Amino acid sequence: MTAEAITAYSNPARAVALPFSGWALLKWITAACIAIVAVFPIWWMVNVVFAEPGTPVSLNPRLYPTSFSAGISKILMIMQETDYMKAYYVSVAYSLLTIAGVLIIGSMAAFEFALFEFPGKRILFATVMLSLMVPTAVTIIPTYLLTASLGWLNTMQGLVVPGLASAFGLFMLIQFMKTIPRDMIEAARLDGASHFQLYRYIALPLSKNALVTLAILTFMKTWGNFMWPLIVAPSPELYTVGQVVGLFNSPYSHQTVDIVMTANLLAALPPLLFFLIFQRKIVEGIAMSGSKG
Amino acid sequence: MAQLEITNVSKSYGAVNVLKNINLEISSGEFVVFVGPSGCGKSTLLRMISGLEDIGTGQIRLNGQVVNAVDPARRGVAMVFQSYALYPHMTAFENMAFSLMIAKEKKARIKEKVERAANILRLEHLLQRRPGELSGGQKQRVAIGRAIVREPKVFLFDEPLSNLDTELRVQMRAELIQLHDKLKTTMIYVTHDQVEAMTLADKMVVMHGGVIQQCGRPLDLYDDPANKFVAGFIGSPRMNFMDADVARVESDHITLAVTGALKQFDLPFRGFDSSLRKVQVGIRTEYVGLSEDADSAVSLPATVAFVEELGDVTYMHTDLPNGERLVVRSNGGRYRGGKECVAQLDTTGILLFDEAGERIRSAS
Repeated sequence: MTAEAITAYSNPARAVALPFSGWALLKWITAACIAIVAVFPIWWMVNVVFAEPGTPVSLNPRLYPTSFSAGISKILMIMQETDYMKAYYVSVAYSLLTIAGVLIIGSMAAFEFALFEFPGKRILFATVMLSLMVPTAVTIIPTYLLTASLGWLNTMQGLVVPGLASAFGLFMLIQFMKTIPRDMIEAARLDGASHFQLYRYIALPLSKNALVTLAILTFMKTWGNFMWPLIVAPSPELYTVGQVVGLFNSPYSHQTVDIVMTANLLAALPPLLFFLIFQRKIVEGIAMSGSKG
Repeated sequence: MAQLEITNVSKSYGAVNVLKNINLEISSGEFVVFVGPSGCGKSTLLRMISGLEDIGTGQIRLNGQVVNAVDPARRGVAMVFQSYALYPHMTAFENMAFSLMIAKEKKARIKEKVERAANILRLEHLLQRRPGELSGGQKQRVAIGRAIVREPKVFLFDEPLSNLDTELRVQMRAELIQLHDKLKTTMIYVTHDQVEAMTLADKMVVMHGGVIQQCGRPLDLYDDPANKFVAGFIGSPRMNFMDADVARVESDHITLAVTGALKQFDLPFRGFDSSLRKVQVGIRTEYVGLSEDADSAVSLPATVAFVEELGDVTYMHTDLPNGERLVVRSNGGRYRGGKECVAQLDTTGILLFDEAGERIRSAS
């Protein structure tokens, strides 16, 4: 069959279905520009770390990593010669404990707020929502004073506990749990489930998507939290990754740019991985199709 | 002895009285259907029996024991919801096993009970599927299976078939009758569909405005309704109603002048209250036919408004001269056009109601 014959068989309508559109092109170009702006700093970080010192900013700069071994040696140097690993441990513990606490407390509170009626519910909910409107700068000093009077300065509970009551998380989970059909809760009640079992076996599994999303957001917030660890745990024993990276960046630090970048890269890696791993979970989800249809 | 006794039960939400002084007895093994239009309180009554709704005043007894304050799970009732209310994150097996798992039954026992229920409902091959992977009818069967494994004293069904298409509904209706024959457990079923109620019920409870209008065997209610509401609600198409004046009252008959009729006619009736001057005549479509004889006593000239031809039967919706609607039934006849006709009433099918809608019965 000749090329002409093939062309003759092709569907002309299909060719028309993909017209050249200036507007579409403009949208793609804009999207690409935004993507470059967003990705470039991260790429530059990787580029600086995985190169011999000075190469990326030399007269003949390279925009891609040139030395894998140089990067590894910088990472090893930071791991072995500084307290970075310890800070990693503190940050991971701080984040995981906060996530666990926020999820447990938030989901229990949301379960009650979303699915049951109790006296004072509206006022309590309004109070929680009001706290969303108060900026952190206003609450940080009273929270610090309270934590100090509890004797929790320079302790893990001092770091974690004040961050457990998340008004935003509660709001998000309430909105999600409100979508659980009342019939389902009643069916479980008839099946003999206690109040806690309703929460454990029905509300919690059905809110999996919202809980995963809240976990990711809490992780991002906690891992990147600089201010609270700085004031409540000033002892080097409890330095978080954020504080250690801050030390690398401080004005009198004698570290070179590539070492500072390596510290930054190591700090940025966990949130990046956390997001990439759990992003799939969000999309996967569970089908809310137990009801009619 | 009645298995379920409902005594003087009332319920109100604020100023709205949803149920007013309900009294009902249900025997063991009966298939009882609560039927009525939306908002009549039938679902509320079912939910009160289940324990999901508090009982306002009155008592509900199950096997002689007052259950007003008994937790829903301990009443020995199982409910099938309109929305099925299956747990979407669990497989069909887990859905059915949930109550047994909560009751801490042994795994082998759970498996045995679920498999037995699945066998009754022909669900064996679907046990590992989640609700999202099941069709409407299959979901409904899982929901029924979930109720069966609990081995309840009373099954409660809250409009379980209303989300299914017509064909599946008819099929599921047959399956429910077979299930009732097999289990011989008391079943209480709520529906607004009177055909569903007629086909399923041993005892039918017609409700309206929070009040039980009448209860009894479906055909008893059809043949001998207690009031105009029951007469109109049961039967499709609904009963025809016409205003009539009482012209004369004799000891063994009365003479009625139906509005729009050409002549007055006599109706055998004993013990008629002669103070009543106006009544409502109710007559089902099967007692109304077409006639060539316009001079007959019970002939009514009418104008055809529209015709429903269903093959075996044709319903002619006609307008009487006073604007009232009269449905005429013709068995197997075909409509050949034409607007004017004469409807003829078979007086043996006439029921009388007073102006308040209560039935006027002839003394036997």
